[in-house]
Amino acid sequence: MPSPETRVGQPLISLRDVHLSFGSNRVLKGIDLDVQRGQAVSIIGPSGSGKSTILRCITGLLPTERGSIRVGDTDVHALKSEAQRIELRKRVGFVFQQYNLFPHLSVLENLVIAPRKVLGETATNAEKHARELLAKVRMEHKADAYPGQLSGGQQQRVAIARALAMRPELILFDEVTSALDPETVGEVLTVIRELTEEGMTCVLVTHEMRFAEDISDVVYFTENGLIVEHGSPEHIFQRPTNERTQTFLRHALGDAGRRPVASGDPFLLSNISRYSLSV
Amino acid sequence: MTDLLELFVQAAAKFGLNYGFLLDAYQRGSLVNGAITTIALCAFTIVGSLLAGLALAAMLTSGRPWFARPARVFIEVTRNTPTLVQLYCAFLVLNMLLTQAVGAANPLTPFAWVVIVISLHKGAFHAEALRAGIEAVPRVTLEAASSLAFSRRQLLWNVQLPLAMRFALPSLINNLIDLVKMTAVASAIAVGDITYASIMIWTQSDNVLELMILLLAFFGLLSFVVNCVGRALEAKLRMPGYGH
Repeated sequence: MPSPETRVGQPLISLRDVHLSFGSNRVLKGIDLDVQRGQAVSIIGPSGSGKSTILRCITGLLPTERGSIRVGDTDVHALKSEAQRIELRKRVGFVFQQYNLFPHLSVLENLVIAPRKVLGETATNAEKHARELLAKVRMEHKADAYPGQLSGGQQQRVAIARALAMRPELILFDEVTSALDPETVGEVLTVIRELTEEGMTCVLVTHEMRFAEDISDVVYFTENGLIVEHGSPEHIFQRPTNERTQTFLRHALGDAGRRPVASGDPFLLSNISRYSLSV
Repeated sequence: MTDLLELFVQAAAKFGLNYGFLLDAYQRGSLVNGAITTIALCAFTIVGSLLAGLALAAMLTSGRPWFARPARVFIEVTRNTPTLVQLYCAFLVLNMLLTQAVGAANPLTPFAWVVIVISLHKGAFHAEALRAGIEAVPRVTLEAASSLAFSRRQLLWNVQLPLAMRFALPSLINNLIDLVKMTAVASAIAVGDITYASIMIWTQSDNVLELMILLLAFFGLLSFVVNCVGRALEAKLRMPGYGH
């Protein structure tokens, strides 16, 4: 895998001045973002700051209003036809917060259906590849189970394997651990960590600050549809220059956890701010 | 066979029911023909109504006003007027106009009119059930399919319709059971279904109660078969982890 420096001139993903509104709600107000091939890039920031919207724009699930998005040689903002968007999405994997597996298909069928229908792989090859990927995410024993029978963490690992089954150049992770309980978060993060170590280009929207700090090459902090600050994890997490970043991280990185435990009524949810909620 | 019938007639006689007409070859024949006609009506209208429902649901959910609007108007008109009146209108008005226009070449028999009217009438109900199913498919599931580079057509056939079908199935089976019973209106325009055959027999002999029991048992059995097929289909398509 080439080191990020050798390809600095040619990022795999490049967003310039991207704008998007939902009605009168301006969600993105000029986003600039670069991802080099092989990098892991995290986007952090408060809920509703446009993080997930950025990912959806990259893979053409949402149209941009202004600005440019380039993925490899594809100008995403200029894609007109369904066929062009399909070509883009073959190269870009997407993992959702709510897993979004197909509930009427078994785990194996979930992995096989897109390579078979979209890439035209043979049943034998697609299934062989699918079983390898299931082993990679440690879900091979559940190949014949249905999504409804799996825990959240298991479903999310299958969803990652499903994205990998298309042999994508990069994968976008949209708050993939936000719906999971703290115990199962770890099993999903381990899988993502392994992917980044293998050199897969990953863009993560996440509320897992420690994880983002640990695995990212670059971290972006967004608020109100703008990139407030970006840089290396050390820069963002240890020496953030922007005041807003500092406040956000102070709250996100366990400041709330240090609050004294309520001594009064144990049924009073005085420590509710320790739980980060995301929608 | 005739021995069994005789045994049945004798047994029924003990309860004061006179099923003697079953031993008469002519009357038995017209009843059997009526039963076959009813079953054929059911078969044709089940297929016809499902096709009509699918087409209407496709128009409703197309997102294009010039498809959705006419479909909506048709459904409202159809489900808000009685089937029997629709059948009379179709057979006595449309069929007459058609016959005036093309004469003896009119290909539409009373049987065909019943199939058309019931298919369209029940199709309107199927369309609403299917629309409910289509709209119940979570948008994010479709987004996931899009992100896997499915085309619109692949998405429709591999994700949206299989899920919509599962959500709509109980309603569709409900409609189909109703449809089976609805075929009795065919007797109103002298299609020789089992109801019409029964009426013909009881106007000539005094056995209304016996024929009523027979009719109810027959339709009950037919509906039960549809019900069983529906339940089996539901069980087969059940998604583990959903419902119970």
